[in-house]
Amino acid sequence: MSSTRTNQEWLHDLNASGSVQEAAIADLRDLLLRAALYFFSRNLGDFQGLDRDEIMQRAEDCAQDALIAVLNRLSDFRGDSKFTTWAYKFAINMAMTAARRERWKGVSLDELASADKSNLFEWLMEDKSQGVGPEQVAMQAEMRATLREVIERELTEKQRRVLILMVFHEVPMDEVVRHLGTNRNAVYKLLHDARRKLKSGLQARGIEIGETLTLFDPSG
Amino acid sequence: MKSDRFERWLRNIHHTQDEEISCSECFDSVSHFVEVELSGEDPAIKLPRVKQHLDQCPACREEYETLRDLRNLEEEGRLPSKDDLQNLIP
Repeated sequence: MSSTRTNQEWLHDLNASGSVQEAAIADLRDLLLRAALYFFSRNLGDFQGLDRDEIMQRAEDCAQDALIAVLNRLSDFRGDSKFTTWAYKFAINMAMTAARRERWKGVSLDELASADKSNLFEWLMEDKSQGVGPEQVAMQAEMRATLREVIERELTEKQRRVLILMVFHEVPMDEVVRHLGTNRNAVYKLLHDARRKLKSGLQARGIEIGETLTLFDPSG
Repeated sequence: MKSDRFERWLRNIHHTQDEEISCSECFDSVSHFVEVELSGEDPAIKLPRVKQHLDQCPACREEYETLRDLRNLEEEGRLPSKDDLQNLIP
């Protein structure tokens, strides 16, 4: 049975030939399909408008793509987890991308990114702190003004675009990746660089962000 | 909700490191991270850079949480079958 193979047995059987390899591939494909369906079952809201057969077909596609990815990367398996845990992540990754694509199809990210910069700044300037003294209110206002200034003056257009889409609109990473025609690493780096600029911008003005966080939650 | 999101974003800025691992590096290690957690060790101590990335990246975090939950079901002998999962789809 598939779930009782050791890591070594998985690698041996998948690298074998004939019926041994075929059985291992069939077992692996079944597990990858279950991993994809498991992700889908937690995110059924992403598939509104699709019937069960269409959702199953997307899961089958994810399982097949994941199977190919796993077989292509067998030599990358380091043995620091169960083989199946390592394999599941490929199916989950593909299931997430497929689910988010379905949820966001038809939404123009160009419009979202360009039309709502003013809304982002309104959001930034909303004061949600309650029951705090005038000194803390002033600190919050200074922090918000600084964040706005850094976003406007120090971020690149791409950094600002990704920030607006992902932080303000909560567009999923994979949709931003698709929109920009790039990959997760590049989008993550844009966000990381934006965060670094915002952090150093606050520090340069003597604003301690940790103190500000206690205005939301004393455990900060 | 907007306030929660703003607070979360501030925390992300606050916890930003000069060097952070990429999504690919996180992907490479997330299965190890899950197994460490399952063994009862604290993965944040053993793999702090992965933990830091998971705290910053919602996509990688969601994949990690799904993998962890699926792995826990498997460990308990309750990995759902294809039919079980298919029946959850309306």
